[in-house]
Amino acid sequence: MLDTLSSVTTPELIEVELHPAGLLPRALAWLIDTSIRFAVLLLLAQILLALGDFGTGLFLLDYFLLEWFYPVLFEVLNSGASPGKRTLGLAVVLADGTPIGWGPSLTRNLLRTVDFLPLLYVFGILSMLFDKEFRRLGDIVAGTLVVHRGAERKKAAVMTPADVLIPATPMDRATQKALVAFAERADSLTPARQEELAALLPHLALAASGPRGAGRLIGLANHVIGRSA
Amino acid sequence: MKQEHFETLHAASWQAFEQYLASDTRQRKTRKPEPPFAAAEFPQRYRAICQQLALARDRDYSLSLVNHLHRLVQSGHDVLYRAQAGFGARALRYATSGFAQDVRRNKGWILAAAFLMFGPAIAMMLAVRAQPDLAYLLIAPSEVAKYESMYANDATTLGRVARDASTDVAMFGFYIFNNVSIAFRCFAGGITFGVLSIFALIFNGLFFGIVEARLSLAGLGQNFYSFVIGHSGFELGAIVLSGGAGLRLGMALVAPGLRTRSRALYECARDLVGMVCGLAVMLCIAALIEAFWSPLRLEPVIKYGVGTLLTVLPLMYFVFAGRRHGS
Repeated sequence: MLDTLSSVTTPELIEVELHPAGLLPRALAWLIDTSIRFAVLLLLAQILLALGDFGTGLFLLDYFLLEWFYPVLFEVLNSGASPGKRTLGLAVVLADGTPIGWGPSLTRNLLRTVDFLPLLYVFGILSMLFDKEFRRLGDIVAGTLVVHRGAERKKAAVMTPADVLIPATPMDRATQKALVAFAERADSLTPARQEELAALLPHLALAASGPRGAGRLIGLANHVIGRSA
Repeated sequence: MKQEHFETLHAASWQAFEQYLASDTRQRKTRKPEPPFAAAEFPQRYRAICQQLALARDRDYSLSLVNHLHRLVQSGHDVLYRAQAGFGARALRYATSGFAQDVRRNKGWILAAAFLMFGPAIAMMLAVRAQPDLAYLLIAPSEVAKYESMYANDATTLGRVARDASTDVAMFGFYIFNNVSIAFRCFAGGITFGVLSIFALIFNGLFFGIVEARLSLAGLGQNFYSFVIGHSGFELGAIVLSGGAGLRLGMALVAPGLRTRSRALYECARDLVGMVCGLAVMLCIAALIEAFWSPLRLEPVIKYGVGTLLTVLPLMYFVFAGRRHGS
């Protein structure tokens, strides 16, 4: 398969599909997170370093916490996504698709130092390029995946209403599926494109009958899902 | 059953499920929608939707319906299988017994790490005493001079001369930042087949040996020991633990046994991450002692007495804590 989907079987014996995120979206998310961290540090430096030695101590503490625990806190408390990942619709999950906890999150972020070696995440990038699920070393050790959790289309699309047509001959499963998928997407296509697609099934759309081929296909699809005239 | 009929049959329960998921988000909103059914009903309803997804896939219902059900199942899966609360209680239980048990379970690795650190340290102590210039193999002469001035009789570090309380806070921040980061790297570095962990242990051992020997030769041994004895138990102990954890991680990569290397790393790290948290806490305690107790100007007798107690404390904990469960 060319797809990068990885499917996980849950205890309910249903397959849940995870969509691992590749190098580029993850690099962008990292860039956003790093900018946020840098901005916070810059702000803290303005305030705390003016307070002399006492402020220096607090600044170093904050630096330490941001350096190691910024991703951990967000991943565990914010359903698997730091602000950068949230912006790009990514989330960290365990390899079996369940939400990430403290242990794995800490592990993958401690291993970040090794991924960073020798400079600018070279090890991490190599690991992601060679791994089937784009895992960096930290992900492999912690057993986690970074997946796309983008906003999915809101609702199951409805068929465009049309006359319900009963096919002259029985249709096989693949054809039925293609018809229903076409009828669902018809709303988002221009009429010209609809006809163009309908022309691919001349024996069903009866291309001879002119520009009403798409309407015929939608009618057939309505029959397939069980609507009656 | 045709798709249309299927959808009308279950639409209400799908909508209720969606409402429940919306009301369950852990974000603190001012107005959460009321959940449409009790939490106890959730698993049953979730399983029903799993079954409906299976049916929808098997019956070749349309893609958007299958996707919709898949999304419901995925969100339900997240809610059902997320790590539940009780974090505080688990952390407490780990602190009182689990940590010591983990350390005893890994004592082979930890002893190896201790040998890798203290072996070079002792070797260097002896070598530098015989030939003081050996110190310059590792540390530049100016650095050595800096250490000597830090522990000099008139230095503020452990002062015959008092230092400000705010300096203590600055040093506390520095110790946390520096030491905990070193320990974390020492553990994570294990994934390079253990090389980085071994290097860190040996290097720190040599360094410690040189500093100890040079300060003793300069007649500052008293100052040095009365300063470090308080926190050395927690600090060196934690560094040795992180080295041991790193060694074990490296070994999982060298000899994974009947597992793939990534599986071996995963199982090994899952076993060790608690110990790494524990040693980070140890280093925080060490930093507190080092910043606020060690520089106090007290009689050496008191400092040695308390210091010995503070060194024995973690050892006692590792030997005796959490024995009830027979480990």
